[in-house]
Amino acid sequence: MLNLIRNEWMKLWSKKATWIMTLLLVVFLVGIAGVTKWVESSMQPPEGNPTWEQNLKENQMMLEQQLASPGLDDEQKEQVEEELAITEYRLKNDFAPLDPKGTESYLLDSHLMMSFITLFVVIVAAGIVASEFSQGTIKMLLSRPVKRWKILTSKFAATILYAVLLTLVTFLTTVIVSYLFFDTTGGGLLDFNDGNVVEVSYWGRVLTLYGLQFIGVCIYATFAFMIGSVFRSSSLAIGLSIFLLFMGPNVVYFLSRYEISKYILFAHTDLTGHITGQLLVSGITMPFSIAVLAVYVLVFLIVSYWSFVKRDVTA
Amino acid sequence: MYMEKQPIVELRQLSKTIGKKKIIDNLNLQLYPGQITGFLGPNGAGKTTTIRMMSGLMKPTSGEVIVEGQTVTEHFEETMSKVGVIVENPEMYKYMSGWKNLLHFARMNKSITKERITEVVEQVGMQNRIHEKVSKYSLGMRQRLGLAQALLHRPKFLILDEPTNGLDPAGIREFRSYLRKIADEDGVSVFVSSHLLSEIELMCDRIAIIQNGQLIDIREMNQKEEAHYYIEAQPAEQARELLAAQGLTLEDSGAGLVAKVEQERIPGLVQMMVEQNMQVFAVQPFRKTLEDQFLEMTGGGQIAESHKK
Repeated sequence: MLNLIRNEWMKLWSKKATWIMTLLLVVFLVGIAGVTKWVESSMQPPEGNPTWEQNLKENQMMLEQQLASPGLDDEQKEQVEEELAITEYRLKNDFAPLDPKGTESYLLDSHLMMSFITLFVVIVAAGIVASEFSQGTIKMLLSRPVKRWKILTSKFAATILYAVLLTLVTFLTTVIVSYLFFDTTGGGLLDFNDGNVVEVSYWGRVLTLYGLQFIGVCIYATFAFMIGSVFRSSSLAIGLSIFLLFMGPNVVYFLSRYEISKYILFAHTDLTGHITGQLLVSGITMPFSIAVLAVYVLVFLIVSYWSFVKRDVTA
Repeated sequence: MYMEKQPIVELRQLSKTIGKKKIIDNLNLQLYPGQITGFLGPNGAGKTTTIRMMSGLMKPTSGEVIVEGQTVTEHFEETMSKVGVIVENPEMYKYMSGWKNLLHFARMNKSITKERITEVVEQVGMQNRIHEKVSKYSLGMRQRLGLAQALLHRPKFLILDEPTNGLDPAGIREFRSYLRKIADEDGVSVFVSSHLLSEIELMCDRIAIIQNGQLIDIREMNQKEEAHYYIEAQPAEQARELLAAQGLTLEDSGAGLVAKVEQERIPGLVQMMVEQNMQVFAVQPFRKTLEDQFLEMTGGGQIAESHKK
């Protein structure tokens, strides 16, 4: 099995496209940090240059006013109360928030850059099986003394390895540029948990967000992998996966009034929503999301293996 | 001599139905070590389908492909490690060097060393260009690489589908003598499909002919008992009478006659003709070309009509 994975890895990196995508990723990451820096430095600082305490006090007053106003439903009320509790905690304990212009904020939000990876990994996942068919090499590959399921497993493993590699590249590049381009400002994260305000480990949070994004990347990769092995055409697989990548969330948003939207794959592909509170569909929990994703992934893999192992090679 | 040996590969009641169409219908064939068997048939007769079932790319609807007593369906890895395949044009990974292609296929077998790869590269005469990308190779070079990948694991059975496509005459000749060599020296059984009849005729010990998914004939090449001689002598009428009087079956052929006669009787016949003062211009072995035989058998080499139920 190790030899098979080495084969797939060798084929992957013998293609120019793989190198171009990886380099492009680094260029994008550095470029975006540069543009952010440039935009921020050309903005005027707010008048009087208030300290974070002043900002928070202002915010506290605003939140209290909001709470007093009659138009809030229960959910909104809860949110405002949480935010208020955190603000009060910060003022009471002299616990600064992250400076939005600092290294820490940039790095914390950088998990959003993982959407580039999704695109690149989908291209690889869609092509890794389908391209063997379109090049005609599948006949060479499958007339070897290796069972087909092993070959498919090695291809899936290589895809996931590529996703891991790109995630590491993204993470390391972002860490480097965020320290190079921005100033470290200190401050910390707070969360509201079971009625208490608790401090959150900064690096723990960053890694969690990256980890959750990585899961999303793998889900899309599995989907593209399935399309590639069923239709045996890389252009169709890439096209369809990217189309769904962009359309999926819109469909979920459109259907979000209905119960059914909870069971659509794309309501769950972005797991970071459970941490940042920006969920496409309300009322879903992390375990529920994971269960739904697990079912989808299982179905995708079963279809991929069935199609690859059982069907004749007629090309 | 082949018949005493056990077959290496056996097709037993092999059938393949795609949709409602029977592509291959109850094929039985045995292939022996050291023998080159040609596989002939008009386009669409089922050659490629048969070869794909033998190389594990398609599953038979019924029947079995058996390699040294094990079925390909049940013992895929054991059987395929004895088989080398070149399916149609060898499609290699064009974006990699020839060497990396071979390394790739070597890793899919157990214990093929780098030395073995080097050895095969030298055998097919590619050592000077093996590190170039396959996209820069000529068709002939790709054919050689295709042969190299099929030989890496020293297969006992070699399947070749239209192997000489794109080879120049010198390349074809070299290829032919190479196949002969591995069949004779290493006892490899070779199975070659082709529609180039002259090619098969020069290369094979035995041919199997398929039409509409059914095996219509298996025959040994160079059959002695079927010997014919072309005899040209003047005056023609006198020659005909003399030969007919010897009890030979005769056929007109150009200026002379084709007689069905054993080799041992030729000197006697020549002597008789000379003694009767006939002028003998030619006495030569006459063999119907394979093409004649093939067309005779397949009824003019028609494109396979849809099979009657």
